[in-house]
Amino acid sequence: MAYFGRRFLHMLIVLWAIATILFLLFRLMPTDPSIAHLDPTFTEEQRQLVRAQFGLDRPLFEQYLIYMKNLAEGEFGLSFRQRQPVMGLVLAVLPNTLLLTSSALIVAYLFGALLGASLAWRRGSLFEKISVPLVLATRAAPEFWLGMIVLAIFAFGLNWFPSGGANVAGARYASEWERIFSLDYLRHLVLPVLTLAIYLQGLPALLMRSNMLEIMREEFVTMARMKGLSERRIMLRHAARNALLPLVTAFALGFGQSVGGNVVIENVFSWPGLGRLLVDAVANSDYPLAQGAFLVIAFVLVVMNFIADLMYGLLDPRVVHGEH
Amino acid sequence: MFSAPITRRSLLASAAATALVGAARAAEPGDPIRKLVIVSAAQASDPQEFQAAQLLAQAWRQLGLDIEVRGLPRPELSSLVWNTRDKWDMSMWRMVGRPERSDPDEFAYNLFNPATAATGYDFVAHNDPDYMKIAEAQRAELDRTKRQQLLYQAQEEINREQPYIFLVYPKNVLAYDKSVWKPETVTEQSGIGIRSFWTFLRAEPLTEQKDMICNASEALIAMNPLYISGALDSWVTEIVWDRLMRMDPSGLPVPWAAEKIVHVDPTTIDAVLRPGQKWHDGKPLTVEDVVFSFQAPATGNKSPMYKPFVANIKEVSAVDDRTVRFKLNTPSAAFESSTLAKINLIPKHVWEPILKDLADKPQNVETVQEPMPIGSGPFKFSRLKLQEEIVLEANPDYWERPKMNRWILRIITNVGATLGMLGRGEINFLSDYRGDPKILADFAKQNPKIEVVSTIDMGFRFVAPNQRRPPFNDPSFRKALSAATNRQLMAAAAWNGYAVPANSFISPALKFWSKPGIDDLKVDMNGAKKMLSDAGYVLVGGKLHYPEGVKETLASN
Repeated sequence: MAYFGRRFLHMLIVLWAIATILFLLFRLMPTDPSIAHLDPTFTEEQRQLVRAQFGLDRPLFEQYLIYMKNLAEGEFGLSFRQRQPVMGLVLAVLPNTLLLTSSALIVAYLFGALLGASLAWRRGSLFEKISVPLVLATRAAPEFWLGMIVLAIFAFGLNWFPSGGANVAGARYASEWERIFSLDYLRHLVLPVLTLAIYLQGLPALLMRSNMLEIMREEFVTMARMKGLSERRIMLRHAARNALLPLVTAFALGFGQSVGGNVVIENVFSWPGLGRLLVDAVANSDYPLAQGAFLVIAFVLVVMNFIADLMYGLLDPRVVHGEH
Repeated sequence: MFSAPITRRSLLASAAATALVGAARAAEPGDPIRKLVIVSAAQASDPQEFQAAQLLAQAWRQLGLDIEVRGLPRPELSSLVWNTRDKWDMSMWRMVGRPERSDPDEFAYNLFNPATAATGYDFVAHNDPDYMKIAEAQRAELDRTKRQQLLYQAQEEINREQPYIFLVYPKNVLAYDKSVWKPETVTEQSGIGIRSFWTFLRAEPLTEQKDMICNASEALIAMNPLYISGALDSWVTEIVWDRLMRMDPSGLPVPWAAEKIVHVDPTTIDAVLRPGQKWHDGKPLTVEDVVFSFQAPATGNKSPMYKPFVANIKEVSAVDDRTVRFKLNTPSAAFESSTLAKINLIPKHVWEPILKDLADKPQNVETVQEPMPIGSGPFKFSRLKLQEEIVLEANPDYWERPKMNRWILRIITNVGATLGMLGRGEINFLSDYRGDPKILADFAKQNPKIEVVSTIDMGFRFVAPNQRRPPFNDPSFRKALSAATNRQLMAAAAWNGYAVPANSFISPALKFWSKPGIDDLKVDMNGAKKMLSDAGYVLVGGKLHYPEGVKETLASN
């Protein structure tokens, strides 16, 4: 429990540091935000009015205090361009991003873990010789290029899937839940998930392979062989289960990272997600929106990190936190 | 060696008396002209503009100038040019087309108005009282033909002075699926293109697909009749909220929600409403609503972007239950285009409480997003997701019901995929295309059902010489730069042929106002050199110097 408390406090400090860095980062950028999001044909008077409205006319420190106070109250402010509460804008796209990320990660880690296990099992085979470079290549391929190839094949070539967006044009659903679980939404989800999964599977595959190689040298594997269990059973039931642990951490961290890192995929597939919102906001010097989006991403990342730490303790009895 | 400066000084001392002598001898050079910098959008953010700047630099180096092109990210460029007006020599710049700019007044009056030099439009600090007299006269001239003559004069004056060196009017390229939309009903609006009010109102479906599915390459920002939030958003506001007048396909204002417009005297205008109009919520549209619509933008500072468009209205009132009377401060030729065809009609029963509520809050009306926007235009709001799509439905109560059932705007961020989607029918109207026009043309060749329409924009690209900084304060110098500029090459090379050469602030898209043949725009490198030497500039060892006695007062930056 003490560990939990310390870890929690640690998390809060990290979040505070991130919030402060974000604040400074945007304000120290060379461009005046009031020019970027305003029509440059605005008069000076109009510009000052907008500056005052967003508090940009006050001293930096005062802006910081207001910002921190607002954050503590869960108030992220109004975006410069949409003139709307930042939280609403972020929450409107967050489910799309979470769904895209989690589906892709699950696919990537299931596939990656199985692939990694069989690669280790067939060490030195032709299968391994071909697969390892292939895995490395997909890991290194630019997502944009990968996405365009996937589009060219499955959308424009085979006509199996739609080529962009999250729903067919003008589709209407009674609720957000109904929309997300509709067949239409799932069809739109397939290609971005496939692309992201192809990109993500390299890490779990390689990680799993090296873990397996290590574990296969351990005595209990030899023991299982001596018991006369089938190879398949030994691989899946005994070795793979033990090799999975580090993947749990990688999964949790990967989740945090992918939440904000899907910009490219979201653009290629016109997927309405957080990454696109973030890039738009940065490109238009929309501080409050960019800050809000970054904070949400940082929050997810830090929380997932936290969860990974706790999970590790639960899953692996060898890891004990303090108190001795 | 020693006597030379003395000779020069003595010559200078008697300069007034020795004009003849001065003309007879070879001109003595002034200081060499410093390195001049053209600031432009970076190549990555605007390849065409950057390439145009390179072409300019190449040409002007032949005049003996040292020119550097400096690419900057767009926001940094805007900030430098607009906020620090004495810090740059020349900037690549553009003015974009908007329906209300179909009236040339905004450009004619504001662009070269020294009153706006400090913070407004006249960012090059051009100051020509003769021009301003003409600009003032045209805006008060209510007779169209007389005003046309005044605007011709204005364009000639600008051609003489070259306060901007105009480069090209770009062409907008858009496309649609002609197996879905009847080609004769897709209307090209001059200076805007086929993505026009008239297309959306009148396009006739040929098949069971009765939804027009358009695309936009970036997210929507807001949907608010009192906030000019972005170009994409304006396509939507334009068809959801109605207006007393509309710009017709040729770019002239025509009565619309008003049945007729009566000019009682130069400062009194009556608008007679079309009978039986309704808001999308079913309530009748009344004269009070119309009066309110023109008063609301002037409320305090609550609608800063629309306020300028109603600034000339002294009073607006209802005369009877169908007539609204506008009293103006000064006669205005552009009032119809820039006010009556610009201001959205908004329901008083919706917006009066909103404005009241905002009265003592710091926020302005731009922060208001109605969950269910109510207008009186040909399309009704159905739903909106800023990052995904907006869906509008044809308004069955409108006096001219749109032929399509729904108008859907999809946010599609991948330009490459956009074309594929057009081919597959995922969209059937390409309303926003920012890729290479050549690729679209090739695509249409392979897909015979796709019709591409290119339209000359009413906006223009130019290079702005900063007249706060010599030598750009000298009209002869600017004229020489202009003469050395190869606009044909620029349109062909930088814009891939999708642009036409420009030499006026009025695009040929505004046929009625643009002066034909204002200049033949032939490149004349020798003429440019002659202009410079006639004005006293001297080439020394291939480097251009100021006229005699002129010192370089600025450092290159």
